[in-house]
Amino acid sequence: MKVRITECLDIDLETETWCCNRCGHPLHGARDDYKKGCLIAERDPDEVYPPELKGQEYGFRPDPNYSRLIEFYCPNCAVLIESENLPPGHPLTHELEIDIDALKRRHGR
Amino acid sequence: MSSTAYGRDHEVVQRLRPEPPSAEELAADELVSGVEFDIFRHKMKMVAQEGKETTMRLGASTGMRWGDVAFGIFTAQGDLAVCATGIYFHALLGQLPIKFLVKHWRNDPSVGCNQGDSFFYNDPFYGGVHAADMGLAIPIFHAGRLICFAAAAVHTGECGGTDPGGLGNGSRSRYDDGILIPPLKVGEGYQLREDILTMLATMNRDPRTMILDIKARLAAVRVVERRIQDLIAEKGAAFFVGALRRILTVTSEAARRKVSRLNDGVFRQARFIDTLGVEPGLIKVMLTVRKKGDKIFLDFENTSPLIPDRPLNCYFQGAVALAALYLCGWFFYDLPANNGLLEAVEWKFPDDALVNAKGDATTSLAPLSMNTVYQAMFQCGARMTFSYDPERAVASWFTAFAVPFYGGLNQHGDPVADVTPEMNSCGAGACRDRDGVHSAGSFFASMSDCSDVETSEADRPFVYTFRGHFDGSYGHGKHRGGSGTGFGMMVYEVPAMHMGGFGNGSRHPATPGVFGGGAVPPVFIRTVRGSNYRSLLAERAQRPRNYGELYRPENPETGTPVYHDISMPIEPLNEGDTFYVCTGGGAGYGDALERDPRAVLQDLRDGVVSAWAARNVYFVATDEHRLRVDEEETARLRAAERAARKRRGKSWEAFHAEWNRKRPAPEVIRGYGSYPDPLDGMAAQDRPTAAA
Repeated sequence: MKVRITECLDIDLETETWCCNRCGHPLHGARDDYKKGCLIAERDPDEVYPPELKGQEYGFRPDPNYSRLIEFYCPNCAVLIESENLPPGHPLTHELEIDIDALKRRHGR
Repeated sequence: MSSTAYGRDHEVVQRLRPEPPSAEELAADELVSGVEFDIFRHKMKMVAQEGKETTMRLGASTGMRWGDVAFGIFTAQGDLAVCATGIYFHALLGQLPIKFLVKHWRNDPSVGCNQGDSFFYNDPFYGGVHAADMGLAIPIFHAGRLICFAAAAVHTGECGGTDPGGLGNGSRSRYDDGILIPPLKVGEGYQLREDILTMLATMNRDPRTMILDIKARLAAVRVVERRIQDLIAEKGAAFFVGALRRILTVTSEAARRKVSRLNDGVFRQARFIDTLGVEPGLIKVMLTVRKKGDKIFLDFENTSPLIPDRPLNCYFQGAVALAALYLCGWFFYDLPANNGLLEAVEWKFPDDALVNAKGDATTSLAPLSMNTVYQAMFQCGARMTFSYDPERAVASWFTAFAVPFYGGLNQHGDPVADVTPEMNSCGAGACRDRDGVHSAGSFFASMSDCSDVETSEADRPFVYTFRGHFDGSYGHGKHRGGSGTGFGMMVYEVPAMHMGGFGNGSRHPATPGVFGGGAVPPVFIRTVRGSNYRSLLAERAQRPRNYGELYRPENPETGTPVYHDISMPIEPLNEGDTFYVCTGGGAGYGDALERDPRAVLQDLRDGVVSAWAARNVYFVATDEHRLRVDEEETARLRAAERAARKRRGKSWEAFHAEWNRKRPAPEVIRGYGSYPDPLDGMAAQDRPTAAA
C-alpha cells in the first residue's frame, strides 16, 4: 500500500520506501532522506532567470554569493520533485522525516 | 508600582496560552447550552466585526484605512476569545498588554482599571512586533464587575524613531525605534486625557495620524462595549463570562483533535534573510516542527544569533504569533481564531537567537524576521498537511513587503510619514489545483486592501506613474503564483520627500516555492533623479505603462537611474524624481513542465507571463503571431528538457563532492553566526536552553 505524502512523493508501507508519485520508481528508504535517491542539480542562472538587468548588482536573478538553486529529480521519469534556494555550500534540508511506525499504525499495518 | 520592579515583565509575555479558568468561569459553564452557545459565538463574531469596520472607517494611517486591523474581545484575565481580523498575530499578541495591565494596574491604587478607562500601548515587548504597531484596550464592566476587555491593534505608520515612517532600517538600539509605551492609561471616565495625547503627538512626526488613529481605536471599542452591554442585559453576566470561556475550551479541544489527524514526524525548513538593515548580509532562521500526537512543537535551534545593533531581531512572542498566523489562516481555517489554538502548540527558543530578542536590541524591522518564521512555517505546513488535506498545502504568498516608506510635508503643508498601501497587494501562492491570485492581498493581513491610487494621492505628495501586474514577479510551476504589484511614483508638488524601502529578498529569494515550484524573483528599487517624467506627462508622450516596460530599451525616461536594495536607507528625493518597485508575487507549486500548455498560452494572452519564460521555463512552443500552442514542438521541447535533467542531475555523493567545497564570502555571513549551522562551535553546556 502506498500513501501519498506530497505532490510527487509516496511512501510504500510494505517496503518502507519513498517512491515517485508519477512513475512509481522507488527512490530511497522511507526512514531516511528521500533526496538521497534523487538526481540533484545546481542550476545555471542563465538557464533559469530572464536576461533583463543581467550583470547589474540588482535585478531579477539572485546574487550567487547569497543563493543557489538546487533541484531534485526522479531518476526514472525526471519529474521535479522539489527545489531549494540555498546559500553556497549550505547543507541540503532534510525537510521530511515521517514517523513510519506511526504511519503504519494509522493505516492499519 | 505594586507588583514588579520598573522595567519589562518577562513573566507576563510567556502567557500566550489560555489562563486557567477562574472559579467564576467554571461555575458559569453549566449555564451555557449548545444552541445558545452557537448563537452567542455568532453574535460575538459580528460584534467584533463591527469593531474592526469602525476602526477602519475612522482611522487615518495606511494600515488602519486599508485593513491591517486586529480587533479582539478578551476575557477578564486577558485571553483572546473572539477576533475579527486577517492580521491574526496582532489579535493573539494583543492579550499580552491586557494581561500586563490585569497583573500590574488593576489593583494598583495609583493607576487602577475602572469603567470608562482606556489604555494605550506600543512597546513591542508586549505587542510582540515593532514600535509602529499600536493598540488601545478598554475594560468592560457590568454592575461594577470586570467582564472582559475589547482592544484594537493597528500599524500606525509613524512612531517617532530615527527614521520616518515607522521602520528604522538604521536603528542601532531600541532607543532608535521611537516611542516605547507599555500599557498606559490615556483616558478615564470616558474621557481621553489631552495632556497625554499632546505628549504622544509631540513624540511623533505625523501627529494628526497618531491622534486620529488613537481616537478611531477608542471609538470602535466603545461601540463594541455598547453591544456587549446589550448582550449582557439580555443573557446575564454569568452566561456571558461562561460562554466566552467556553469558546476557548472548545477551540483548544478542536485544535488538538485536528492536529492529531496529521502524520507524526519532523518537518524542517531553513530560511534566509539577505539584509542586516542598511547593509546586505545573510542571516538564517531555522525552523524544525515536530508533530506528535495532538501537539505541534516548534524549535528554532540553529537560527542566527541576536544582532543587538541591527534591527532584524524579533521577540519570541512575535515569532510564535507568526507561526500561529499560518495556523489560524490556513490549517485551523475552520476553527475560531483565539489563543485556545495555542494549546496544540509548544515552542522552544535558543537564548541567543535573532528570534528571541533581549535587552536593548532594536526590533524595528522585526516584521522581516517574523515573516521569515511564518514562511518557514508555511513550507513545513504544506508538507505536514498534504496527506491530510491537500487543498491546504499551498505555496507561500510573498512574505517580504517590498514597499516604500516616506516622511516629509505633503502638498497641503501637513506632516506625513507612513508606508504605502501596496504592502497589501502581493501575489497569492499557487495551490494544488489552481494558480495564485494576482495582487491578492497580504499573507499577514488577509482582510486588507491596497487603496485606489487617487485616494493615496489626495494627501500624499506623490503621483502614481502606473500600478499593475508584472509578469516577472512570481514563482513559476505546475501552478504559478499570482503576480505582485509593480508601481511607480513621482514626487509631486513638494520640494522634496524622504523615501526608503522596507523588505528583504534583493539577493536571496524571500519566498521559495513548494514541491518543485519556483521561488519569487528578487525585489529591488529603482529611483531616477532628475527624471524627465513630468515633461513626458505634460507632453502626453509614451511612458512605461507597467513595471516590465521600465526595463525595455524604448523607455523614454531620462535622468540618473540608480538601483537599490529593497531595504533602502531613507534619502531625500526632489520634486519630479521617480521611485519604482514591485511587491512580490506568490510562489509556484509543482514542476513547471507539468503546467498545461494552454494555461501558459492564456497567460501570454493576458500579459502575465513573458515569452522568455513560456519558452525557457515552461518549454511551451507558441506561434507568437497567432497565439497558438505548437503541441508537437512543445512535446519535443519538454522531452528534451527531461533528458537534460537526467544529464545534469548527480547522485547524492557526486553532488556533495562539489557542493561541500562552496561557501559564501566572509562579508556575506558576518551577521550569520557559525556557517552553516550558527550554533556550531558552541560547547554543549553553553548551548541555548528553552527560554519559553
